[in-house]
Amino acid sequence: MALISTLLALRRDPRILKLPPYLSALCILVGVVWLLVLPLNEYSRNTYVSENALLPGQVHTYFTGSEHNIFRAYRHEVAALVDTSVQERTQRLGDIFRSSNLKVATQKYEYHASGRNISNQNVYAILHGPRADATEAIVLIGAWRNMADEVNHSGVALVLTLARYFKRWSLWSKDIIFLVSGDSTSGPQAWVDAYHDSYSPASIEPLSIKSGALQGAVAIDYPAGPWGHRYDKLHVVYDGVNGQLPNLDLFNTAVSIASGQMGIGCTLQRMWKHDDSYQERLQTMLRGMISQGLGHASGPHSSFIPYHVDAITLQTVGNGWHDEMSLGRTVESLFRSLNNLLEHLHQSFFFYLLMQANRFVSIGTYLPSAMLIAVNFTITSIALWVQSGRGVSTPNPASATPKASPDSKTSKPDSMTAAEKSGAIALIPTTSLAITERKLFLPLAFILASHFLGLLPLYIFNNTSEPYLGLAFNTITAVTTSLPVLTALLLSKFLCPTEQETTLIQCFSLLLLGMYLSALATLNFSLSFLVGIFASPLTFVRSLAPQTPPTTQSPQIPPSFVSKNRKSLSATMVILLVLLNPLVVIRAATLYWGATIVEVLVQAAEGWHVWGLWTQVVVWLVWWPAWFAGSVVVAGGLFA
Amino acid sequence: MAFDQQKVLLFGVAAAVRLLLFTAFPSLPNLLTGRVEISTPVTSFKRLQEGVFLYTHNVSPYDGGVFHQAPLLLPLFSLLPNPAFHPFATNLLYTVVDLLGANALMQIAESWQSAAPRLFKSSRKDLRWSSIAIGAGFLFNPFTITTCIARPTSALTNLFILISMAKASQGAGATFVLALSFASYLAMHPILLFPPLLLLCYDARATKTKSTPPLLTFAVVHVLALAAALGGLLYLSALLMGSWEFLAATYGVRLLLPDLTPNVGLWWYFFTEMFDSFREFFLGVFWLHVVSYVPGLTIRLRKQPLFVATTLTGIFAVFTPYPSIADGTLYLSLVPLFRHLFPLMRYTFLASSTILYASFIGPAFYYLWIYAGSGNANFFYAITLVWSLGLSVIVGDSLYAALRDELDVERPELRGKEVKRI
Amino acid sequence: MRSFLPLLFFNYLIAFASAASDYYERLLLRPLPRSALLASFNFRSNESSASFDQQHFRYFPRSLGQILQHAGTKELHLRFSLGRWDAESWGQQPWDGAREGGTGVELWAWLEALSEEEAFARWLTLTNALSGLFCASLNFIDATKTIRPVMSFQPEGDHHNSSSLHLLHGTLPHEVVCTENLTPFLKLLPCKGKAGISSLLDGHKLFDASWQTMAIDVRPICGQDGTHCVLEMEQTVDMVLDIDRSKRPRDNPIPRPLPIEEIACDTSKHYNAEDTCYPLDKSAEPPWNLTDIFGRSLKGACPLTDEDGEGAKTVCINTPPERIIQANTTGQYVETRLASDTVRCYKLPTGADFDIDLPEQQMTTGLVLASPPLFAARSINGHGQERGSIQAVIRNPSFTDSVEFVYLESLPWFMKPYLHTLQARVDTSPSNPIKETYYRPAVDRHRGTHLELCMAIPPASTLTLTYDFEKAILRYTEYPPDANRGFDVAPAVIRLLSPGSSGKQGVYVRTTSLLLPLPTPDFSMPYNVIILTSTVMALGFGNIFNLLVRRFVGADEVQTMGAGGLQGVLRGRITRLRAKFTTG
Repeated sequence: MALISTLLALRRDPRILKLPPYLSALCILVGVVWLLVLPLNEYSRNTYVSENALLPGQVHTYFTGSEHNIFRAYRHEVAALVDTSVQERTQRLGDIFRSSNLKVATQKYEYHASGRNISNQNVYAILHGPRADATEAIVLIGAWRNMADEVNHSGVALVLTLARYFKRWSLWSKDIIFLVSGDSTSGPQAWVDAYHDSYSPASIEPLSIKSGALQGAVAIDYPAGPWGHRYDKLHVVYDGVNGQLPNLDLFNTAVSIASGQMGIGCTLQRMWKHDDSYQERLQTMLRGMISQGLGHASGPHSSFIPYHVDAITLQTVGNGWHDEMSLGRTVESLFRSLNNLLEHLHQSFFFYLLMQANRFVSIGTYLPSAMLIAVNFTITSIALWVQSGRGVSTPNPASATPKASPDSKTSKPDSMTAAEKSGAIALIPTTSLAITERKLFLPLAFILASHFLGLLPLYIFNNTSEPYLGLAFNTITAVTTSLPVLTALLLSKFLCPTEQETTLIQCFSLLLLGMYLSALATLNFSLSFLVGIFASPLTFVRSLAPQTPPTTQSPQIPPSFVSKNRKSLSATMVILLVLLNPLVVIRAATLYWGATIVEVLVQAAEGWHVWGLWTQVVVWLVWWPAWFAGSVVVAGGLFA
Repeated sequence: MAFDQQKVLLFGVAAAVRLLLFTAFPSLPNLLTGRVEISTPVTSFKRLQEGVFLYTHNVSPYDGGVFHQAPLLLPLFSLLPNPAFHPFATNLLYTVVDLLGANALMQIAESWQSAAPRLFKSSRKDLRWSSIAIGAGFLFNPFTITTCIARPTSALTNLFILISMAKASQGAGATFVLALSFASYLAMHPILLFPPLLLLCYDARATKTKSTPPLLTFAVVHVLALAAALGGLLYLSALLMGSWEFLAATYGVRLLLPDLTPNVGLWWYFFTEMFDSFREFFLGVFWLHVVSYVPGLTIRLRKQPLFVATTLTGIFAVFTPYPSIADGTLYLSLVPLFRHLFPLMRYTFLASSTILYASFIGPAFYYLWIYAGSGNANFFYAITLVWSLGLSVIVGDSLYAALRDELDVERPELRGKEVKRI
Repeated sequence: MRSFLPLLFFNYLIAFASAASDYYERLLLRPLPRSALLASFNFRSNESSASFDQQHFRYFPRSLGQILQHAGTKELHLRFSLGRWDAESWGQQPWDGAREGGTGVELWAWLEALSEEEAFARWLTLTNALSGLFCASLNFIDATKTIRPVMSFQPEGDHHNSSSLHLLHGTLPHEVVCTENLTPFLKLLPCKGKAGISSLLDGHKLFDASWQTMAIDVRPICGQDGTHCVLEMEQTVDMVLDIDRSKRPRDNPIPRPLPIEEIACDTSKHYNAEDTCYPLDKSAEPPWNLTDIFGRSLKGACPLTDEDGEGAKTVCINTPPERIIQANTTGQYVETRLASDTVRCYKLPTGADFDIDLPEQQMTTGLVLASPPLFAARSINGHGQERGSIQAVIRNPSFTDSVEFVYLESLPWFMKPYLHTLQARVDTSPSNPIKETYYRPAVDRHRGTHLELCMAIPPASTLTLTYDFEKAILRYTEYPPDANRGFDVAPAVIRLLSPGSSGKQGVYVRTTSLLLPLPTPDFSMPYNVIILTSTVMALGFGNIFNLLVRRFVGADEVQTMGAGGLQGVLRGRITRLRAKFTTG
């Protein structure tokens, strides 16, 4: 109560109504700076293993000696299978598994995405742990082809050898599943979907044999050919689909075993050389954020993470002196650690940003930056709210504002009633108000319409076949770029929205944007942050209609100047916004990273149909409508 | 009769929307039925199906931990075809329930009890929304629609509460008592609405017929009637079930909270984390807390009984053991009746956006806790706190507005001046 | 098929030899594919019911006998099991599932009592006493883990007054069986593991097995005319040992990679070199002997066994006739061949160690293992900690005759099944396979779910049984210390009605147990939750009652609170102070 009354005490101050633009600018600034200081020692922490049962690197590993000879033989076997048919390959791999007394089964899968036909076959073997009662299992994955589409010779051979080797141990308290998936993304997805029985029988074959609840998964990516290749470092890949991350304990265990026990250096996010400097850390973190924000599958492990199965991929990089056996011993030690687990991994962090193999920031430290960015939209929308309340030229702080007072009743004109009704819009939707209050119908209808409009490109991109994707992209870019101006023109021609309505349009769109982003920040921090950054100019653009009251200008422009050359300003803002069109941004990003737009779209479509990727939904139903509403509002200034 | 055309149009559109959603997305009902925000252990449609299944297979549904709903629902729903194969009848039933509820709401709006009850004429009574608007506000509220699609039995409870309010505001004593007894029979806590609604009914009767019966006899008669109606319903259920064990399984569960399935309320996590030795004590305290609002509000706002009833529904939506958004939507649909109070409310926008945020972030956090496993229970719990806070802010704010409104009538010279509470 | 019939014949022999003598023990060894070895120990000791009632025990262990008498137990069945029976490669279970339990501990008994309550009280007495006797946490079998099966179990013994008998059944799926359970088990034997086949039972090897189960069955058996009843106690230990693993010496159990010389390489491969070796899998039967496998030597016969006749054939091994078996002992033994030479039995020497030695041998013929009557697999579908669905897949391998069986599920109360979602489909016929259903729903914190289904599968077809369930969230004091591991769900018990078994001990199949992850609250912050919730309630309560009890006046009428808020309050304070000073 005391707090509220102090706020009430502040309300007479007219400056409080000028404040919001500066406030949101401050939010954005602080948000970005916050992110930039994270790599400093003061804000990031050294990683540590919280789950006591893991005991990383505490066991002696015995994967040496004659196993090496067998590994070489298996590698030759795998190399012999490269040019054979899928059927034959599966058969042969199954035989090798069977020869080491394991239960073997296969799974066919066939997906259709953007006109392409993804079909292949998984083969997997189950080792019944002698101490296990079929309630828990851990998975060792060797995809036949890795993310770079090279044949994973040594990786698959290593899986085969380890299967034979693990069979001899009597200490396994969990079943071990050895999975050789047809490819690196769809194969594991098909397998894990079928394992949890959430699949469409049309595209996936059910699994004939199963084990218990999956406790963890490790994928090996080691594409060295039949004559071997000595690698330098292990590249630990940990991003899951939709930016979900595995438990940090799994990552830490892998790193501490590889670097501590085996003496193999670990890198992440393709930072091949990392001299613990600020720039390197920041770069690693940003790369991590981008790959998390895209939410694409980054390896065979990615598909497991949405099912709450913690998984990572160990990828060999560089030229060095480590051989396959050291990798095998790393996996052995890692599995011994996982075998010790009494509970499902839950101790350590699930939300983190890694800036080096042994340095991270946890959610508590980094979340504020995204939240601040999201909050800045909310602040502006509240400000626009107040402004719309006073828009109809009664200079009286509307009693609808949070900080407004009970004594604004001396003049209780319809301005406030308007505000009041819109106060109820969160609860009473369109049509009801349509009947009562015309003023609100247009903004709400517009916002709804723009969201529904976003569904159209979403559908088009997910269901266009590959050859036409480029064309579709260009046309849609052109259309979306010109659409706001046309819409503004039509609006001003036919509906001629009052200034209050345009303000409300922007208010609602920003309110929704802030809400979406703050909800998204908890699901996929990076995506929320990136979208927030690209959408932040929407906070400051305003419709420069002629009778703009002085309080509603954007901070950087003095009123006289505004009133003088309104149109040119609007034009510049429109152009600025055109540059911020999501499609233009995506195109620019692809150019920067040297990817072609078509393969990006193909990936996205595959993600949509196979992995259940949600990024494009965010783009088309959160980002694009906000941008559209903002541009229309601005373009309105041209015709007003 | 443009008015009736509007009404027909409104109802037609509302029914069309619901049936369209039912038919266009056949998996949607089951999806929503699984949401803890909508269906609680005491209202879930899936549990109702289980109860009906056991009932039709001659297993007592109350001899188990799954079914906690009123016995008379069993024969009703066992008459309908199995919703797993022929869902249309059930969908139609729930659509009709919503339409009837809207109809009752519009009756309340048309009787001027909200702005101008017998003992009190608000100074802004001409500031009001048409009953059509209010009905639309109920029918097109996304919460109402999701509730209707998810088919929890709280929809029926809401219907009966609305009918009893409508009848009370029309002064129809018998139907009011009957409807309220049905509501209390289904959900138990609506019986707390009896005192204010009784006053409302009395006032309405008094305004209609100039000869007012003494309040005491009026009250006694209606209390007896209510007791008779409830007793009849319970006896009927006992006959149906062949034993009284359903009392413990239905009202006992609502009282003692053995099932701690998450919901949007405040109780479940509190009693998950509560120490066993204090459990009973706090159960008593919480129930006392809920009940304590009834006399206070009824006495202080004697002049506006309908407002008291509305506020109580809001309080139920926050402070009862198994609340869901269905309870919230009942309150939020009743608030627009008091359009004349809006100018006096101070935190509307704040509370509305709080509720909006909570209703978006809540499912996200629940997903993080239950499915992704990356968040823990505190995430969802925090959001239920926010939701409850938002609702209770609206309740308190509207109460402030109502009192301020009374003040304006008592002391017109204070209009527009700032006031203090001492 | 030739050597398949004799197996049945052999099993029948054991069943027949039961009531004959007072004490009887036999070890059956059966090599299984993939270098596994089934060793099934069987001990029987009888006590005439007359002397039992007078508490006059000879072979029957006194400790157990008194417990049974105290708890009014007429028939008792107790199982300790570890691991799972791999039916695909090992075939039918040695006792057709009648003596093998599901994972963990399983106990069912027929108690004599006048009322349900008395029966349950006696049941609790029994479980507590047994938990003390066997060092197992049987005392945790409380009301929520106890059911009263109606179709799944039939008494094996002959009971006169079967009306006053109550069957109770309880399981502990998460109980880990280990040596502390074996020691009391051996103590119950007359020879106490000092002589006879029980001298082979060593904890280290037993619990290193791929699958092992210990069973105790007590049942009264009467003659044809119902007189001279005896109380028979049967103890069985069955295990499947991995021969390679068991042969490792105790001092060096680590399976280090073999030196390359000891690995048979496939020299036909083009890449074969001294550093590249494609391993050939051994087709020959591995060599083994009792001492290697069990880590102990067999110390002669238990003196209580019969000198001749069936009871004397103590150690039997079931191999193709061509397998070379050579018994080496200093004492004298008798070898007899049964069942067209597929079974070789030995009468043990007394007082001298006995061992049988099987060299490595390339076999030309093999035994056809009897395929089990049913293959059953059960798993949890879906993910997330809110709800899921159970899927049981039951396959009937026989091409000729259909199988009728009872499917028993005993679920914990916090797993709430929805019976209206239960579906049973047979892939070959559209008809509903469920003949009869018995369902007793769970009551929170008082009783578990008890579901029994009587179903039939046509030949060579698969039955898929699914039903949805919901997971309850518990009070934070009800979670075990390893809450995030999840809770174990007891194995489903399947009893075959037709084709049943010849004896009274039915034919059973058990699925594996399941792991059920439940949603967990945050265990670290009960105080925070209590405080925060109370705060929100206090806000609502305070706000509303603040409005209700106070009275409105114009702001200007109360001069001390001019501008209101902190400012006003402070100003009020100051003026009050000033007033004090001026007066004072």
